[in-house]
Amino acid sequence: MPRPGAVIEVDRNTPPVLFHFGEGIRLEKMPLGARIVYPPDPLEPIGHPERAIKRALAKPLEDDPLKSLLRRGMKLTIAFDDLSLPLPPMAAPDVRQLVMEEVIDMAAEAGIDDLHIIAALGLHRRMTEDELRHIVGDRIFSTFHPERLYQHDGEDPENNVYVGKTAQGEEVTLNRRAAESDLVIYVNLTLVPMDGGHKSMSTGLASYRGIRAHHNVKTLLGSRSYMNPPDSALHHSCIRQGQLIEDTVRVFHIETTVNNHAFPAIANFMQKRETDWTAQDQAIFLATKQMTDLAPPAFKRNVFHAMRAPYGLTAVNAGQVDAVHDKTLDAVNRQIAVRVEGQTDIVTIGVPYLGPYNVNAAMNPVLVLCMGAGYLFNFYRNKPVLRKGGVLILTHPCRYEFDAVQHPSYIDFYDEVLADTKDPAEIEKKYELRFAEDPWFRQLYRKSHAYHGAHPFYALYWAAHAMDHAGDIIIVGGDRDVVHHLGLKCATTLEDAFEMAEQTVGRYPSITHLRTPPIMLCEVE
Amino acid sequence: MAWYSEGPVTRLAGVAGRTLDDVMRVRRGWKWNAPRPRTWPEQGMVVPAPPSDLGWARVEPVRSIRYLIQRLLLMPFTEAMVHPKVEGREWVRELKRPAIFAANHSSHADTSLILYSLTDAVRDRTVVAAAADYWFKHPILGNIVSLFLNTFPFSRTGGAQGQLHSSSQLLKSGWNLVLFPEGSRSPDGRIQEFKPGVGFLAKETGTPVVPLHIQGAFQVMPRHQNLPVPGPVRVRIGKPMTLDANEGTREFTARVEKAVRALASEPKQPDLQGTWIERWRASKPRQLKYGD
Repeated sequence: MPRPGAVIEVDRNTPPVLFHFGEGIRLEKMPLGARIVYPPDPLEPIGHPERAIKRALAKPLEDDPLKSLLRRGMKLTIAFDDLSLPLPPMAAPDVRQLVMEEVIDMAAEAGIDDLHIIAALGLHRRMTEDELRHIVGDRIFSTFHPERLYQHDGEDPENNVYVGKTAQGEEVTLNRRAAESDLVIYVNLTLVPMDGGHKSMSTGLASYRGIRAHHNVKTLLGSRSYMNPPDSALHHSCIRQGQLIEDTVRVFHIETTVNNHAFPAIANFMQKRETDWTAQDQAIFLATKQMTDLAPPAFKRNVFHAMRAPYGLTAVNAGQVDAVHDKTLDAVNRQIAVRVEGQTDIVTIGVPYLGPYNVNAAMNPVLVLCMGAGYLFNFYRNKPVLRKGGVLILTHPCRYEFDAVQHPSYIDFYDEVLADTKDPAEIEKKYELRFAEDPWFRQLYRKSHAYHGAHPFYALYWAAHAMDHAGDIIIVGGDRDVVHHLGLKCATTLEDAFEMAEQTVGRYPSITHLRTPPIMLCEVE
Repeated sequence: MAWYSEGPVTRLAGVAGRTLDDVMRVRRGWKWNAPRPRTWPEQGMVVPAPPSDLGWARVEPVRSIRYLIQRLLLMPFTEAMVHPKVEGREWVRELKRPAIFAANHSSHADTSLILYSLTDAVRDRTVVAAAADYWFKHPILGNIVSLFLNTFPFSRTGGAQGQLHSSSQLLKSGWNLVLFPEGSRSPDGRIQEFKPGVGFLAKETGTPVVPLHIQGAFQVMPRHQNLPVPGPVRVRIGKPMTLDANEGTREFTARVEKAVRALASEPKQPDLQGTWIERWRASKPRQLKYGD
């Protein structure tokens, strides 16, 4: 029986705790009385995923069996989530591959000739062929790529259609092929509560015009947090858009969830609580630490990004989107929820090497902010673990390091926009449209492997709530100039950071360390 | 009995002594420099040895050695140099019966590229027809190439019936055959006219022909160039073709040639490569069946 998440209080016998530090790791001794929050152990995966998928397709929730929806001569489109999920990428076979193979078998049996498969990447970068092949598997890739298996292009004027406006005035756009299909089957992988549901279609197959309706400062500041859909303005907006899409095209949703087994055997010590470490874990930690301290960044990056997570399928549901998503959220919360009592003055989080937007690339300073203050801070329900005006301490080397292929607009954003102002609302008003409509960024998004011109703005908006909520954000071990350029504070050691934080929150602050990844969601009481 | 009569050294010495006796007898028995005695009959035509089909290259342990050579040297080298893009591999994943792979020929790299495009199981059962007058002019070179690529000599100049017969014997004994129906490498990269042997073999053995088109090999290693240069290569494999009931060998050869030429064109060819449903079914993994 896997153990639930745990909150332990640091005493003299508590071992030092692991902090992720970009493409590196550290062991830090937490002050006496501090709390360490651990995620639950990985749930037992489903023993026979193919059988579970078949069952879900045969007995969907509030919908007809998939087989009865398929008929010869119809126009069928399968859409699936891109490589921003899961993190790290899943060891083959990916669950999306397993689901799609079952669906395609059914389509072949029904004799459907007009079948297209679209990677729903919204404004994310196009995947390379190898990345695409990893998600869909060899069989699908070799049968369908490139004519029938391709990636959504949110800037293609020919292949995006305007669907309409919601009651709240949000514009809705959709990929033309999906909009003109008799049936769209969406294959999703939900790792965190933010994913899936109506958000899959309304962002994954939309253009900038549709996505800007909810990816903005006002909506994200109104999402407390966007990891908890009922309290998230972002999700309310996506639901409104999704309902309009469902009025336009028939959608059959298939959602899968995986456990939080995020690290392979060689890095198992990262998965385990320090209180469970064996001599072998300590030895592997030491070896890894020496390697990450000594090796050049590019080498470390290749090693870390080559890691594949041995995730196991924990649930698969199919059918009507709301019914399916409710079940999915239950399964996700069962895996990642941890009950935490009360808020604290200081929260510490180690920022790992990987976020949704830097698969196979360096995590640039804007993404460090997005990952630490955006995603990791927002893993809460009810209220943040950090009290209003508290200090958020992150650990990351935070170097001036950008991937010119994946993040060209981030470079200009950092150099030009952040040099002018750090205020998200002002940045949105003054710069977003210019970057979004920049022909060069548009060209790189469409033809190369670059994120959309507006994407760095979204990365900043994700962090807007934390920047508004926290009194200070300190990055330990970061490059001083870079951290100051982000509008944050910099400390050399964790002890220095606590010292600096005391100036904001007073002497003898309460401290909580979130030992993540693996991912967890703090239910703060 | 004497003490020395049963020991191994004594026996060994006995064997060596007898061998030496035989050698000396033969050496002294023929007097090559002496004139031919008149009483001897006229010297007849020299009887040629039957052409070797290099059967040694298709038996163990040579097959295992070749497997290692191909997996550790040939495939990684091909991958590193040209990173071939293979389309239609599903048609040759698991062949139920032997097939003839008929490809265009513009480079020495073609054979490696075709072998790269096949699965391990199919590659292990594939022989390559190599020009007898080119590769087997020097026996050592021919044998080395056979060890690497499982080639056998295929005559381009004479004795076509005999060579076609040996090819059909290989097909009938379960080997797949790589054949370049153009006969020799294209001088300019363009596809030349196909020779009718492929149709003849298909008819005689009832074997399906898998058309293949290799694009980019000419740029990698054209005629008169000894070393390859890196470059993009695409190998496109078509659906297996069989002889129609009333079709002649020449008509069938023309149909294969047309298919290879069509595969060269840019968009996919559903007629030749199959619809997605056909390809999806062809790529279905084998169901493992375990004994009770």
